[in-house]
Amino acid sequence: MEAKRILIANRGEIALRIIRTVKKLGHIAVVFRSNRDKDALYLEAADEIIDANEGLQDKVIFLDAEKIIELAKTHQIDMIHPGYGFLSENPDFARKCIEAGLIFIGPHPDHIYKMGIKTIAKELAEKVGLPLVPGSEDVVKTVDQAKKIARKIGYPILLKAAGGGGGRGMRVVEKADHLERYFNAATQEALNAFGNGDLFIEKYIENPKHIEVQILGDQHGNVVHLWERECSLQRKHQKLLEEAPSPSLTDRKRSSLGKLAVKFAKAIGYYSTGTIEFIMDKKKNLYFMEMNTRLQVEHPVTEEITGLDLVEWQIRVALGEKLPFKQKEIPLNGWAIECRINAEDPQNRFSPETGFIENIRFPYHPQLRIESGVSKGTYVTTNFDSMLAKLIIHEKDRKKAIESMLKVLEETKIFGIKTLVPFFKVVLTHHDFIKGTYTTSWVEKVFNTDMLISQDDEIIAALASSIAYAMEYLPIAGEKIDIQQDNINFWVLNKRLR
Amino acid sequence: MATRYIYKRDASRLFIALSEQGKKFKIYLPQDAYPIINDEEKEITILESKYDSFSFLWNNKKYFAQIKSKEQNKYRVIVNGVEYFFSIESISSYLRRRMLEDSSDSKKTVFINASIPGKITDIFVVEGDLVNEGEPLFSLEAMKMQNEFTSPITGIVKSIHVKVGDNVVKDQLILELSNINE
Repeated sequence: MEAKRILIANRGEIALRIIRTVKKLGHIAVVFRSNRDKDALYLEAADEIIDANEGLQDKVIFLDAEKIIELAKTHQIDMIHPGYGFLSENPDFARKCIEAGLIFIGPHPDHIYKMGIKTIAKELAEKVGLPLVPGSEDVVKTVDQAKKIARKIGYPILLKAAGGGGGRGMRVVEKADHLERYFNAATQEALNAFGNGDLFIEKYIENPKHIEVQILGDQHGNVVHLWERECSLQRKHQKLLEEAPSPSLTDRKRSSLGKLAVKFAKAIGYYSTGTIEFIMDKKKNLYFMEMNTRLQVEHPVTEEITGLDLVEWQIRVALGEKLPFKQKEIPLNGWAIECRINAEDPQNRFSPETGFIENIRFPYHPQLRIESGVSKGTYVTTNFDSMLAKLIIHEKDRKKAIESMLKVLEETKIFGIKTLVPFFKVVLTHHDFIKGTYTTSWVEKVFNTDMLISQDDEIIAALASSIAYAMEYLPIAGEKIDIQQDNINFWVLNKRLR
Repeated sequence: MATRYIYKRDASRLFIALSEQGKKFKIYLPQDAYPIINDEEKEITILESKYDSFSFLWNNKKYFAQIKSKEQNKYRVIVNGVEYFFSIESISSYLRRRMLEDSSDSKKTVFINASIPGKITDIFVVEGDLVNEGEPLFSLEAMKMQNEFTSPITGIVKSIHVKVGDNVVKDQLILELSNINE
């Protein structure tokens, strides 16, 4: 195979992750150096670096489609991998790459486009027979119309702005009495936010689980699914922890869900990697939500249980190769859990943390995979998202995976900024997680910051505070140790260690 | 094994750490032994102490405590990625504050009176001393017998109203103790 020059239009841990596979396949890994992230860790791993040299007013290189393509052309790039986030799900970018004679490592731009528009995606899904959350087929213009639909599908219902997202123009209506008031409020909000007051009505699924199926297709009409992932541990629709497979599915449900996902992907002619997301209600009914047309952050858990390198297959498929395996040849081995180590403060509503990473140490564990984009001395800014690293454990069963992950988290030391490490220790020891019954509202409804307090750590903190206080205010303390036996200060505690 | 510890008399080594959640830790830092936390000896050794960070060894486990910020006597400390907030007081300032906050300090001050008339032959404590429950306070000679009076509580000697050689009558106030255990 001829070595390709592959440009990775991304940064952080995912850039490193992609570089690894690009090199493994014998291709050349090219990355951008952004002015906002000059000393990034991924730069060290690349074969070649292109200086993006953005001006202060320019957008960051990873979002600048024109400049990426221009630089790709001048650097004789053959293929572009967008990673996740940034331009990975921008159909115009994919199209422009192709028009410029570059191979876009991902699905066809039409698929990115169609799956990006929720109404189109849902229409296509319905045609194939994927279950949808019951709701209005079209925009609902009047309160009377809304009342009629609500009566049909039953309360609680969700009012959703047709024009946008991000929670604006959204209202949960618990009972008919509230409908009129909320309908008017949501219309007004949608109008203000999106210039379009149109609303949809959907049945509101309380405390759902999030389950998604990974699919992989080639450009010759072959599609397989790589089982599912459960990503119910979320905060404000941000996934924090993922596991594969899902503890919420029976084997039968698992394979029927996989088949449905494959059927959908085949029906639309999809290729490359993709993720079909479902939500699951209390009665274990699954409903199609959307399809993601990129490599997901949480793809490693799927790689662990299947033994497949998803980035490798993205590249091979982009080069026109056929998938050499059939569905029944896809293994499901053991259990994998991923924790996203974000620089966020779980004691303060998960607000992003910035600052120097004074030290960062992950332990050695034979079943641990570390995807980290940072190292000691990295300065964490608000320029980019807060994910520093991902920890992935693969064990023979779920119980063992939880145990190993806890052990790893226990020995993970990060100094300088606060992270989600203590939060995951709480999650992994909580009975809702152990039983596998946790839902997307767990963080909002069950978690509280007092759960982060460990009795032993609290004693240590109290002791440290007292010593610091003593050092400052009392004559008995001090840096020097008085060797005279009867006037020795308590630092002599040092000497008790043998 | 943690054993119930007998305080040395030096009250200046006793601190009260109050957590944000209202938890109270009594911390005694002895000269030459393990720290006493809430009356229990904890086998914690200091491995390293710097200006704003400490490392400890406890049950074969290493702990790092980093002082994140300090404002007067209020400390924010990070241990294992979690922030703890404590205000630290010396025992004397703690008792003083508690007295000011609540004037009905009947429970907090314990008066030691002479239960029999006699002569004070020895006083084993001085004002400000930390005494343990059952520890001798003074000796009183009556009917040619030495009677040792012990402390009914663990506390601080607040005041002493007699001196060695004084003759005391029955029920005379000998000394006052401040209860440190509420």
